[in-house]
Amino acid sequence: MRSDPRLRLPVMFIAALLLQTTVLARIRFFGVMPDFMLLVAVAGGITAGPTRGATLGFASGMLIDLFLPTPLGLSALVFTLVGYGVGVANTGVLRSAWYIPVLVAAGASAAGVVLYALVGSVLGEPMVTGHLITIAAVVGVSNAVMAPVGVRFVDWSLGSLKAGAPLSA
Amino acid sequence: MAVYRRSRRNRFFLVLLALTSVTVLTLDYRGGGDGALEGIRSTAHDAFAPLQSAADWAVSPISGFFNSIGDFGDLKSENARLRRELDEARAEAIRGADADRERQGLLQLQGLDYAGGLDSVPARVVSTAPTNFQLTITLDRGTDAKLDVGMPVVTAAGLVGRITEVSKIRSTVLLITDPQSNVGVRLANSGEPGVLRGSGTRNPLPLDLITNEIPVQVGEPVVTSGLERGLFPAQIPVGRVRNVTSQPSALQKDILIEPSVDLVRLEFVRVLLWRPTG
Repeated sequence: MRSDPRLRLPVMFIAALLLQTTVLARIRFFGVMPDFMLLVAVAGGITAGPTRGATLGFASGMLIDLFLPTPLGLSALVFTLVGYGVGVANTGVLRSAWYIPVLVAAGASAAGVVLYALVGSVLGEPMVTGHLITIAAVVGVSNAVMAPVGVRFVDWSLGSLKAGAPLSA
Repeated sequence: MAVYRRSRRNRFFLVLLALTSVTVLTLDYRGGGDGALEGIRSTAHDAFAPLQSAADWAVSPISGFFNSIGDFGDLKSENARLRRELDEARAEAIRGADADRERQGLLQLQGLDYAGGLDSVPARVVSTAPTNFQLTITLDRGTDAKLDVGMPVVTAAGLVGRITEVSKIRSTVLLITDPQSNVGVRLANSGEPGVLRGSGTRNPLPLDLITNEIPVQVGEPVVTSGLERGLFPAQIPVGRVRNVTSQPSALQKDILIEPSVDLVRLEFVRVLLWRPTG
């Protein structure tokens, strides 16, 4: 696509935020909705390694935090760690097989949900309940389903920022 | 060596971002409801509102379809049940009207709040919270319509929740099903006060602090108690008792309440222009 590469990141973030707050907020399985903003962090780690994964996670977490009743920075902290973790675990195994990103998205998303609940309960938000298992499972599976498209979208948005950057650490 | 330096730089970057998050987190947590961060948040809400409304308008038919999958089978039996309930409600309304007038007079004499006589502002529900951990909804009105934090939100059927955040043209409502929500209520038959706790899911809500000696019937209505310093005015319908069990050794009964409002399918609500005292 011949778009200005500098515009791609903002476009991706606004589209992701709109998707999360309008479409996905209405589609719930067992009362749980997919978490596309978390998928952005995971995809960042998959396509561009730990540093950019952490940065994308930080940005997408901060953005969604603005629209949540929880303290600002909670998602940012968790998504930063998720983006970094996926980047570290995943550097070098890229482009191996189509199902690798899908599996990584499932595992990392479920882990991110649990981490979010743990950090949240440290802050006194009652998040670790019996419902947490359902939430982690549904977010893991639905994010895995969205992963092939999500990863490609994030990859596109990073565009020239990624060019020239070696993928292995 | 190069590999080592790169991974150290990565780690430095991670620590930097994580510390920034924690700093913002601390500031927001300590700052409470005001301060610069709250300003950023409400500006973001207002700025994003038009885009969100447009997207919402575009996708609402799709999600309507999603929501109605599996509903069709239930419609017939639901219709029959609603007719029966409507008949019962009509009879009850006639019986209640006279008692209500009498009670309002008494409450006015005592200078107490009564939800039925409060001014209210209608609002449309624009979205549910984009998270799996809080049960909140967003309304299309804010401080421009005189809304404020703490105001109760109701429908004709009963209590929905209360406003926890407000910007110029948007406000966030914490539903009574959220785990952080506690509502002071009263059993209608015995007048016994208790606390209705949000359970975090859309299941019936547990009612605490009702001792074993109190008789409780299934189907008994529950209304807000409006005790002094309460978060809600008195006499807003909340739900009905769905399930009662009591163990001889326990201090309180296990009671589950079915909310009278369908909190999953909210479209229009009313915000009561009432502030908690104290």
